Amino acid sequence: MNGPLIVQSDKTLLLEVDHERADACRRAIAPFAELERAPEHIHTYRVTPLGLWNARAAGHDAEQVVDALVEFSRYPVPHALLVDVAETMARYGRLTLSKHPTHGLVLTTTDRPVLEEVLRSRKIQPLVGTRIDPDTVAVHPSERGQIKQTLLKLGWPAEDLAGYVDGEAHRIDLAEDGWALRPYQQQAVEGFWHGGSGVVVLPCGAGKTLVGAGAMARAKATTLILVTNTVSARQWKHELVKRTSLTEDEIGEYSGTKKEIRPVTIATYQVLTTRRKGVYPHLELFDSRDWGLIVYDEVHLLPAPVFKFTADLQARRRLGLTATLVREDGRESDVFSLIGPKRFDAPWKEIEAQGYIAPADCVEVRVNLTESERLAYATAETEEKYRFCATTATKQKVAEALVRKFAGQQILVIGQYIDQLDELGEHLDAPVIKGETPNAQREKLFESFRQGEISVLVVSKVANFSIDLPEATVAIQVSGTFGSRQEEAQRLGRVLRPKADGHQAHFYSVVARDTIDQDFAAHRQRFLAEQGYAYRIVDADELLAQDTDPDLSGA
Amino acid sequence: MGTGELDREAHVAAGTEVNGGTAAPRTLAEALRARGDEGLAALLRARPDLLVPVPGDLTQLATRAGTRASVVRALERLDRFALQTAEALAVAPDPAPYPVLLGLMAGDEGDADIEAALPRAVGILREQALVWGDDDRLRLVRTARELLAPSPQHPSPTGLGPTVAEATAGMSPTRLQEIIATAGLPTTHDPVSAVAALTDLFTDRERMGGLLDTAPMEALGILDRLVWGPPYGEVTPDPTPPVRWLRDRGLLLPATARTVVLPREAALHLRAGRAHRVPEPVAPAVTPAREYRPQVVDSTAAGQAYTALAAVEELGKEWNEGGPAVLRAGGMSVRDLKRTAVALDVTEQVAAFWLEVAYGAGLIAPDGEADERFAPTPAFDEWLGLPAAERWALLAGTWLAATRTPGLVGSQDTKGRTLAVLGPDLDRGVAPEVRRRVLTLLAGLPAGASPDPETLLARLRWERPLRGAARETGTDLRARLASWTLTEAELLGVTGRGALAAHGRALLPGAPAPGTDHPVDGHAPEHPHRGAVPAPAAAGPEAVGGRRPAHAAVADHAGAAALLAPLLPEPVDHVLLQADLTAVAPGPLQRPLADTLAVLADVESKGGATVYRFTPGSVRRALDSGQAAADLHAFLAAHSRTPVPQPLAYLIDDVARRHGHLRVGAASAYVRCDDDAVLGEILADKRSAGLRLRRLAPTVLAAQTDPATLLEGLRSMGFAPAAESAEGDVLITRADAYRTPARTAPAPVPEGPPEPDATLLGAAVRAIRAGDRAATVVRRDDSAAPDTAGDGAPPRTSAAETLATVQAAAMTGSAVWIGYVNADGAASQRVIAPVRVEGGFVTAYDHTADEVRTYPLHRITGVAELADDAG
Repeated sequence: MNGPLIVQSDKTLLLEVDHERADACRRAIAPFAELERAPEHIHTYRVTPLGLWNARAAGHDAEQVVDALVEFSRYPVPHALLVDVAETMARYGRLTLSKHPTHGLVLTTTDRPVLEEVLRSRKIQPLVGTRIDPDTVAVHPSERGQIKQTLLKLGWPAEDLAGYVDGEAHRIDLAEDGWALRPYQQQAVEGFWHGGSGVVVLPCGAGKTLVGAGAMARAKATTLILVTNTVSARQWKHELVKRTSLTEDEIGEYSGTKKEIRPVTIATYQVLTTRRKGVYPHLELFDSRDWGLIVYDEVHLLPAPVFKFTADLQARRRLGLTATLVREDGRESDVFSLIGPKRFDAPWKEIEAQGYIAPADCVEVRVNLTESERLAYATAETEEKYRFCATTATKQKVAEALVRKFAGQQILVIGQYIDQLDELGEHLDAPVIKGETPNAQREKLFESFRQGEISVLVVSKVANFSIDLPEATVAIQVSGTFGSRQEEAQRLGRVLRPKADGHQAHFYSVVARDTIDQDFAAHRQRFLAEQGYAYRIVDADELLAQDTDPDLSGA
Repeated sequence: MGTGELDREAHVAAGTEVNGGTAAPRTLAEALRARGDEGLAALLRARPDLLVPVPGDLTQLATRAGTRASVVRALERLDRFALQTAEALAVAPDPAPYPVLLGLMAGDEGDADIEAALPRAVGILREQALVWGDDDRLRLVRTARELLAPSPQHPSPTGLGPTVAEATAGMSPTRLQEIIATAGLPTTHDPVSAVAALTDLFTDRERMGGLLDTAPMEALGILDRLVWGPPYGEVTPDPTPPVRWLRDRGLLLPATARTVVLPREAALHLRAGRAHRVPEPVAPAVTPAREYRPQVVDSTAAGQAYTALAAVEELGKEWNEGGPAVLRAGGMSVRDLKRTAVALDVTEQVAAFWLEVAYGAGLIAPDGEADERFAPTPAFDEWLGLPAAERWALLAGTWLAATRTPGLVGSQDTKGRTLAVLGPDLDRGVAPEVRRRVLTLLAGLPAGASPDPETLLARLRWERPLRGAARETGTDLRARLASWTLTEAELLGVTGRGALAAHGRALLPGAPAPGTDHPVDGHAPEHPHRGAVPAPAAAGPEAVGGRRPAHAAVADHAGAAALLAPLLPEPVDHVLLQADLTAVAPGPLQRPLADTLAVLADVESKGGATVYRFTPGSVRRALDSGQAAADLHAFLAAHSRTPVPQPLAYLIDDVARRHGHLRVGAASAYVRCDDDAVLGEILADKRSAGLRLRRLAPTVLAAQTDPATLLEGLRSMGFAPAAESAEGDVLITRADAYRTPARTAPAPVPEGPPEPDATLLGAAVRAIRAGDRAATVVRRDDSAAPDTAGDGAPPRTSAAETLATVQAAAMTGSAVWIGYVNADGAASQRVIAPVRVEGGFVTAYDHTADEVRTYPLHRITGVAELADDAG
């Protein structure tokens, strides 16, 4: 009666992390419960039907789930919840998708009324073919993903036994010379491989590329890697050449400028979703080779058209990589149903404790608008309001003060609005990287930043993702894409690569007080706050006062 | 059924009683007289309906015990084996010696279980005065016999048909001659001895066996089909040879022109003497489906008990500012139920349950205002102050004794109206009895065992089998009540994981110890006929006298509360504050702490723990309720186990900084003047006191009087104020033309009523005709009936005469004229055509009112037959 777990009536599980049995409990509930929040003292997990079905798919039964809950619970577990768990899990496996020797892909059932029920659904009807016998119905092979997704929504998830194609074999090995996969990376690769397809969630800077490389080394087959932009594509290529037996010639880049198709091809989402005259001309890439593995980098950014293509790729192994599986459009569940369930998830603070990402100090700097700015803000058009308060002049002063304070360290200044960034670049005498900066120029600037030739870089949202800047230690965010939680996390991620000397990273978010900017900031910070990053709030006035006092300035 | 026969059963033998001496009783009354006081008390306990009103003497008691309504009631309360025994007696000769009855029950081969159980069953029947006479001459009371004996309209559950004697009643002697001749019996001209000979043949196992040995195979097949009933078969005018073979030997006797029947004696021979296909002497055992550790059961139940308290508490809080409106017909609307269910985060059925429990416990009630709403009662606040275990005891005790059945909410009554939660018509008298019985059966299982619900229902069905229509339609209220009891007990935490918890057991005084369910010996407190009865009886007078005081139920179940108390989670006095602006209370919070926190933060998730989230809105709410930022900081620091996170402290300060920055108030008028000295002068003037002026700014005064009064007041003080419009312009006063508010023009009023439509006309004609018929009939009757006063006063007849006349009228379907006194004492006369006379009521078609109505017999002052209708 003194367990670390409290089961709530809304099916959330509260885990007291300081409890002596917390670790055992975490392991017991991890297969079926989603970690939702991980602040300092009490972590929140949620039991969802999807989670329970994934647990079933992974070979856990209802009895195990109930036992884990009862075993660790501090208070009696409501009977209704236990019944619900058993009933939900019993829904899995009544329908199976499998390969029939003569009819191809078929949906079979062990419970005829269930099949009748789903076949009556208008959403299922176009996806299935002829009824082969009372318990079996043919499914169009191209609709494998679609029907799985639809069945999931109907509450009768299908067990997919149709298997995967091996793809065209291609030898890939990890070149573990002087380095090795970290334990959690190893676990992630194993978790993915065992499950067949799925999503691996790791904090920024925790080495997701290596998980991809590890998966490729397991698949030993031709691989298609989808990434967010060209810079990221180059980084992937660079990393793969360095970490695996692959050579430059074996890796192709398929982007706006180059159209190479090689055994390992790295393509950008942008080129795939380019549309000409109503068709996607680069869609053929998916069929251009017999891919054995498809890797989706930053899977939380998966553009909507790629969802559709992915639905047709259900016979191929799919690996999704992300740090922040939160989408403001709420399509997380589509990612799970099309790429696959979450196979591995590590709380940020846990990886930090292991020393693989740098500890970070998150600070929100509250800036007061001036009298005249307040009046102007009050009268601004609704759609202009955010831009107005996010680009207030006081923020520039704060940014400059912070840059002075951390002089000598590698500093990134990140913002949303180009005018604001240009102005900052001018005042700080720092180069600006924005959308119109050519790729060559970007890479050159990043390289000199890495080398320490430049210490301050002003970047727009183009640098949100996948840009590897190991030595950046301070990030100053002056404005963002409204309330995007994942953007905030990704930006913090830019400074989380472990530092050579092991010192702390700093993340400053400059926010205009009493404006919509502050509301957005609160929302943006939620993901990180739930991961245990406690923001401090500081008044800009204090900061500026320190700045003018020479004794207190400097780090 | 005739009252005459009943009377004979009751008293005819009174005269011969003297010479009977110690001989066997010859009537039921005599048998009752021979009983000790104990026996009579047992009868009255088992059949409490005989007590209302208390019978004058034993003859009267015997008569009352023989009335149809009372016998039906008693039969419905028999367990399956006792009922089967009664059914067997109904097909046995009257009187039947015990061995004959045993033969019918156990068959020729005998059955140890039945032999063991039969004395108990006969004992029950005797105790309830359904059977009387000693073992040599067991007699089933006549009414019960009539109810249970097979007839073509009401086939007996035994599936047996009429006896040879009954089936051959109207048969021609010639035909009988043929039959006995074909059956190989010596001919006789006397039909009576012919029937006797045939009966003897059928009851003689050996000779009958010999006869059947000669039967063709197909004929045996036909017998097989009829043997377990129904015993009737259709035949064509030209039957097939096997049917003809059977018919010729009396094995099938004609019932009607097209049907034949298998006589009872023949069927019994084929059944090896058994009256029932499946006698059920032993109550089916309730078997455990799963067994849990008793601790697990107790703690699960305790957790649910806590949830129950939280639900009712939340319900009360939800309604703090007034609950939903009371429907005109009583109860709560479906929409309000839905809303409540959403607020409590439960299904509508569960919400209905909490509402009914809270209502039954007197915690919520309609407020009785003109615009009636539901609201918590003062007892709710009293209840909140009790320790948790006692709060639960009140809810559980209320539930156990309640006749209201939340399970019915949402279903429809016989008139198609939806039953509303907290509304009328939800009371079911048997509910407390079924609940107690179910829990008692659970108590009989080993501690920690949860029953297989099917076996539990089977047991209940055995104890109270359904008779007649209910069995066929499957509307088994008891079974539904039983399954509701299981769900509700789980919801309340009386059971945990389906097994009775220790504190649940303590709710049942005299419940069996765990694992002592011995269905066979089912006597004394275990028996369903008792134990259950006192509950509603005890609740009765209190229900009339007013609501039971809350503490009474608590006191009744103090034992249960004491057992539960240590299992309930201990309230905690601290929370864990986290940087993501949440607070987690890792258990139920102490009340003052919970109340303050509920204001300061929004509840995000509930259950064993509570998760709160601080938002600017919630902090503002706390500040609005009169707390200062410093109070909030101190409160959090005092109750947090962990340091107060900086963002939370900042949030409070940030909200507090802006709180109250803008002030809003109401004023009726204002005075403004560029010269603040003038305003100062006005304020200083004593005469301005009545205008209730307040200085808002150096140049503005706010007044609580309307502008006109203010102008008047200022003018009287010697100032010359000008009125201002909303836009700030000076208003120029000018006399406006006076107008009424918007009015509609009068509608034309034509002479005479509007033209009636067809429906109205039809209805009017019908009413006139009905009245006319009543009036004319009465007039004719005046002259014909000597009983009545000639001036058209209502007839007066004695009660017996009234009953006889009305019954006769019901049989012939004729109309009679009655004098009737209604509930208010007003006398009237009506012409009625009785349809049914039963249980002291006459159901009749009332010609005067043109509809079917029911009249209590005792309100009918007299009755007179109508003269033959001349029309």
